[in-house]
Amino acid sequence: MNTTYLALETKRITRDYVTMFFTAVLPAFFYLIFGASQEYSNEAAGNGNVAMYIMISMAAYGAVVATTGIGGMAAVERMQGWGRQLALTPMTDGAYVSIKSTIALMIAAIPIALVFALGALTGAEADAQVWVFSAIILLLGATTFSLYGLCFGLAFRSEAAVSAASGTLVILGFMGNIFFPLTGWLLTVAKFTPLYGYVQLARYPLTEGFNLDTTTGAMIEEAGWIPIVNVVVWTLIFATLATWLVRRGRGRQ
Amino acid sequence: MRTPTAQREAPTYRPTAHAVDLSGIHKSFGGESGGERVHAVDGVDLTIQHGEIVAFLGPNGAGKTTTLDMVLGLTEPNTGTLSVLGLAPRRAVAAGRVSAVLQTGGLLRDLTVRETVQMIASTFAQHSGVDTVVERAGLTSLQGRKVAKWSGGEQQRLRFALALLPDPDVLILDEPTAGMDVGARREFWATMHAEAAAGRTIVFATHYLEEADAFADRIVLMARGRIVADGTTEEIRARATGRTVHADLPDENTAHRVADRLRGIPEVRSAEVEGHRVTVTSQNSDAIALLLLSECGARNVEITTGSLESAFVAITGDPTTTAVTDHTDAQARL
Repeated sequence: MNTTYLALETKRITRDYVTMFFTAVLPAFFYLIFGASQEYSNEAAGNGNVAMYIMISMAAYGAVVATTGIGGMAAVERMQGWGRQLALTPMTDGAYVSIKSTIALMIAAIPIALVFALGALTGAEADAQVWVFSAIILLLGATTFSLYGLCFGLAFRSEAAVSAASGTLVILGFMGNIFFPLTGWLLTVAKFTPLYGYVQLARYPLTEGFNLDTTTGAMIEEAGWIPIVNVVVWTLIFATLATWLVRRGRGRQ
Repeated sequence: MRTPTAQREAPTYRPTAHAVDLSGIHKSFGGESGGERVHAVDGVDLTIQHGEIVAFLGPNGAGKTTTLDMVLGLTEPNTGTLSVLGLAPRRAVAAGRVSAVLQTGGLLRDLTVRETVQMIASTFAQHSGVDTVVERAGLTSLQGRKVAKWSGGEQQRLRFALALLPDPDVLILDEPTAGMDVGARREFWATMHAEAAAGRTIVFATHYLEEADAFADRIVLMARGRIVADGTTEEIRARATGRTVHADLPDENTAHRVADRLRGIPEVRSAEVEGHRVTVTSQNSDAIALLLLSECGARNVEITTGSLESAFVAITGDPTTTAVTDHTDAQARL
């Protein structure tokens, strides 16, 4: 791994304060508002409490904002000519992808770490293994969304499109049961949206597959295959779309 | 780290391989989804020797950039073979033997100049050294500034610094001075002279006949994907005849009368009238200007040197080419 390149790239991204705000500070703020400061935060939820549930959800949002941004910017910078510049060096496409993937994981880890740290300080409680497994699932699952950002970058070729991609995550977050517990037909629809499977899996160590029905207060169990199929199908969709867009881009050169 | 090129001895003569070798190169784009297939490069054969300085001249769409892209392995020909220093282009690039200053774009705007150089340097196993290339491209004093804040000419110097990193034997420049003002352009070519003196093979594409004339040993003139002329600058110059004289006459009738008179002079290739303004092309622009001013009552006399377009028209004999007048810096207003 080219550590000099990695270090410079990390420096470049972390000094983009606007992006870092949306990636790290906003999810942390959401957690404090919707989680830590609410009365229900101490109520039990699965293997922990409600604060923990909201903490994982907000970390998930921050992590996908991070990876979507990295994926999108990679596409845009390559199409704006940096790809040609790199093509004049011995660096291989594989090396470039592995650097960008490492960056995506590192940047996704920032909101996860920040929100988890705030959670630990403000009353999020769960068994130790819940903290560990949730964090790992959050981190790995977020990589799927670098493909989501990549698709936007490849399709629209501008920084604005990448910001738009990050913006759509707010909508997908609501639709995917991240910000607000959904019930009834909304929950049924949610299961088909891209963020649902990811956040559901990240919360699995805590909830073991139960969803809270906010109208009745009952816990509804969900089959474990549903979020897994959701993640697999959406990853395939993003990957196929990205591949097609790359080919289309080549044809146009 | 390798010895910086400025101190390096003249490159040894390699009889086995030319600097660049192109044979029967064809490259076309599009056509898959019903669109018209464009033949960007349509049968190019070319050999460039070590240490030569070659200018690729031609209008937009002539195939210059596509040809250079193939030499750099950025795109592959449909048919034909090419090699750089006897190697396949991608291998020559990976080995740092060939490098390039590309056209505008291609820099990360939120990096500083120094960071950009460090980033590209990190991809090479061996390189000339970040400080060395920054200094040679004349960037030392401003290396901490973000790329976005630099002018076109300054960004071009940065691309040049990047191209020097692998200490290449062959340096490719694709319209290196596009977007530079006259001063920056002159400075750029002064820097390039030092590189040429160090024995590098330099191949550059340009719109500016002046640049090709001042800097290249050899001009390759391209049009519609083909090489239409290939020779020393003197040879090309001789074919790309003359200068153009423009002048305002008192009225339209006078203008027509003067144009008729000028057409009678053997050195005059053409004389056109538009309103009360005449446009004359000739080998001897000074005499024509003098005649217009002293005997015809002309005002606002303007002399422009032979543009690329006129050279192109002269050589291909193709009057259908859009004659975008390419006023050069040598434009003189009397």
